[in-house]
Amino acid sequence: MSLRSILVVGGGMVGWSTAAALKRRLPHLDITIVPIAPPADALADRIASTLPSILGFHGDLGIGLGDAVLRTGSHYRLGTLFRNWIDGAPDYVHAYGRTGMPIGGAPFASVWARAAQAGAAPPFDTLSAAAMMARTGRFVTPQADGPLSEHSFGLTLDIPRYTAMLMAFARHVGVQGHLGEMAHVEQDARGDIAAVVLEDGTRLTADLYCDCTGPAARLHGTMAVPREDWQAWLPCDRIVLEEVPGGDAAAPMERVTATDHGWRWVGARQRGAVFCAASGATDEGAVAFRSGATLEPWRGNVVAIGDAAVGVEPLEWSNLHLAHSAIDRLIAMLPAGRPHPLEAAEYNRQALAEARRVRDFLVLHYATARRDTPFWQARAQAGLPESLAHTLRLFRERGRLPYYEEETFDRDSWHAVLFGQQVLPRRIDPLTDAVPPAEATAALASLRHRIAQAIEPVPTAARFRALQMERLHERA
Amino acid sequence: MTGRRSLRVVIVGGGTSGWMTAAAIARLLPARCSLHLIESEAIGVIGVGEATLPHIRSFVEKLGIREADFMAWTRGTFKLGIEFRDWGKIGDSYVHPFGTFGRGKGEVDFHHYWTRLRHAGADVPPLEAFSYACMLARANRFEVPATDPAQLASTYGYAYQFDALLFAPYLRSIAEGLGAMRSEGKVVEVLRDGTSGDITAVRLDDGQLIEGDLFIDCSGFRSLLLGEALEEPFEDWNHWLPADRAVAMPCRTETSVTPYTSAIAMPSGWRWRIPLQHRTGNGYVFASAFTSDDAAAQALTQAVEGAPLADPRFLRFRAGRRRRSWVNNCVAIGLASGFLEPLESTSIYLVQQAITALIELFPEATVSPVDRDEFNRLIDLEYDRIRDFLILHYHATTRSDSDFWHYVRTMAVPDSLAEKIELFRRAGRVVKYREGVFLDASWIAVYVGQGIVPEGHDPRADLPDTDSLMRGMQALRAEIDATVAQVPEHLRYIDQYCAMAAAA
Repeated sequence: MSLRSILVVGGGMVGWSTAAALKRRLPHLDITIVPIAPPADALADRIASTLPSILGFHGDLGIGLGDAVLRTGSHYRLGTLFRNWIDGAPDYVHAYGRTGMPIGGAPFASVWARAAQAGAAPPFDTLSAAAMMARTGRFVTPQADGPLSEHSFGLTLDIPRYTAMLMAFARHVGVQGHLGEMAHVEQDARGDIAAVVLEDGTRLTADLYCDCTGPAARLHGTMAVPREDWQAWLPCDRIVLEEVPGGDAAAPMERVTATDHGWRWVGARQRGAVFCAASGATDEGAVAFRSGATLEPWRGNVVAIGDAAVGVEPLEWSNLHLAHSAIDRLIAMLPAGRPHPLEAAEYNRQALAEARRVRDFLVLHYATARRDTPFWQARAQAGLPESLAHTLRLFRERGRLPYYEEETFDRDSWHAVLFGQQVLPRRIDPLTDAVPPAEATAALASLRHRIAQAIEPVPTAARFRALQMERLHERA
Repeated sequence: MTGRRSLRVVIVGGGTSGWMTAAAIARLLPARCSLHLIESEAIGVIGVGEATLPHIRSFVEKLGIREADFMAWTRGTFKLGIEFRDWGKIGDSYVHPFGTFGRGKGEVDFHHYWTRLRHAGADVPPLEAFSYACMLARANRFEVPATDPAQLASTYGYAYQFDALLFAPYLRSIAEGLGAMRSEGKVVEVLRDGTSGDITAVRLDDGQLIEGDLFIDCSGFRSLLLGEALEEPFEDWNHWLPADRAVAMPCRTETSVTPYTSAIAMPSGWRWRIPLQHRTGNGYVFASAFTSDDAAAQALTQAVEGAPLADPRFLRFRAGRRRRSWVNNCVAIGLASGFLEPLESTSIYLVQQAITALIELFPEATVSPVDRDEFNRLIDLEYDRIRDFLILHYHATTRSDSDFWHYVRTMAVPDSLAEKIELFRRAGRVVKYREGVFLDASWIAVYVGQGIVPEGHDPRADLPDTDSLMRGMQALRAEIDATVAQVPEHLRYIDQYCAMAAAA
């Protein structure tokens, strides 16, 4: 059998992204989508803030910034500001891209950590041009060289307009849409999906099925695949989500503030709160969710994508990223014929490793927070996933970040959060010996100064976007 | 900063691993420790690993050594990869290049297109014809790679083939120049702390007691500190890698000084050919369960290309590694930690990785268990991945012309390898790692080179129509041939760049 057709079920950003990418990159396949509305708890379909990886995803499809940002009302975002995660400590920005550069052959992070131990280091985020632009509301796309060349950025989406753009794109490249509500699935003797049946009785069949229906996993969920629950480490299980009107003047970052039972945030398009119901907080408008992942997102002829595969709170805006990554992985590993268990196993190995490492990065925020309320005290005392415990042990001992395959957040991101939450290594990398402390202090001060100078003429994010719009209209 | 005193580091054993370790620590951590290396001229140096991997270049560079000086001193030649002869079946030959197939840039790996055309019945040349590194090697030419990623000549790396017996003294002069001490003598006693079990000192045959805080075991196969004194058990991989002997014999170079190492399959193992500037190194790695020392020596003598320059010399070993390489305050580096046959030139690479990890995890006054565990985790990962790659060479064969080949062809392989092979066999998938010594192109070279042609291919390789794909492949070949033709011959390049001093 050769693989000819794929049926995508789910009509949110995840479903349309899946269908559009499959058809664009594998045009010989028949791609059909049943665009049922995403449920309220499908966070990958509902969270507007995204990571820099979204630009690579667009790039593979041939969608440029003009279409993805300007015409859909999206905003640029450089990172996230975290406030009150440590009682009495200053806030910090986790911005995307590189912070600093090696000094005298020694890694930047160890030079900074040594200065911080001696109380002679400027805040870590003042050495990131992206973080300083974010704090001052500025934005520019990365330049060819100089201090403004090392950052990257994500997008804050206007979800209805963005989804409409994806739909138009998908139709344009040849995705077939089939309107209707899903009634149930039929399974064959092996337990694979034999057909998806709609409420009007239509029976849709395909060689492979993509389940983009959210946490209910209406296709994949019929296959009784075991799930890994992360609630012991990520106990927040309620989310409140609101639109922010008139976000055009907003800063190019989210502000995330720790609260007594979780955290709340404000971004350019959305604001909301995430909390743990068991710790006593309530909100009538809250939607329930649960952090965890299926152990086999690809089982038989079904691949779960988005919240059907993995659910996490939106703390670092990785929800849509995990869906995009799943789509890319599926395209890279798609068999020419009937799916084979070995290929699925390799896909699942990578997907689970990636999901667990995102989980670790989120748990890191809680594990290193210090706040004086019962919820936060419990967080500080909770156990850790072994992979995160290993990372923290090595980092606290000597500033080392062990390498893991399938890591979403790079070392700069780990450093931004670790240093931002005041975790310092006990010992410093011996290669730092080569740089005398006074020389290091001068280099840090000079870098801070160069960054401040470089961002001075950078326009506000709103102004930058307005300028780009003007140019877009001139060309049109 | 905490009051830091200089750590006393004692290295037991000279040779390649001992002096590499000493030179690297002396150069990179000058203020952290004092170095004392003990070696005995009465104990021979093994001098394994005359052929290396491209990683060696960063090591040489970090030591601040000028490449041309180093190559002239060690009578080195360049290496673009390894030629494997008679592995998949007698008469086969393929090159495992330190480079890519195609331009190595597309969304879909090149071999998927190649597989597609083969299955369509097109007359397509072997995969290596589309690798610039392979064609350069086959043409016996060399120059350093281009830095512009748009050029074909940027699609490869290179390593060295050198005289390991000259490498250690070269490193010794560097280490001693940076303040490392050396004592001549044999270790006759290892003294340990009664409570912690840490090594406190070693006694030499002249009675001298050398105390230390950190002991590095570079004593070779004997594993004097880790194996003998600390009794760390050995994990034996002989059932997967049955070769346990080698007989080595250098000879005069009668054919050409190739910019690659050759690994030629033999009835009970394989034979290396490593051309240096002044001679060619040869050796037969064999399994004593399948042939005798005498028969192996005779087979080697018959096979070498020129007059022998020494009598055959025998080595004994076992594939495997110590369960942990770092125990208490003792770190084993090189053969004292484990052994994998030199089929893919990994010996010096493993030494280098251990040194890098040790420097990154270098102890202060006492050894932290966290650092030690991390070191062992890193080293295990290296050994395990190389092990699977080596087993692949033996297992992916149709040979049944000797008991040895029948055994390796039919033996059970580790599950981790069986899955990798099956993934490739089905649709040309290579398990992707971002880190690790052998990346995608290496696995592809060996799979295809040893006769595993995938049954299917990536569906995206079907997108271009057959004619334009054929034209693209022909254009690539023409560009490879034209570019190769402009490159100097290997020996001529060496003569201009790093010729050894007139033969002594």
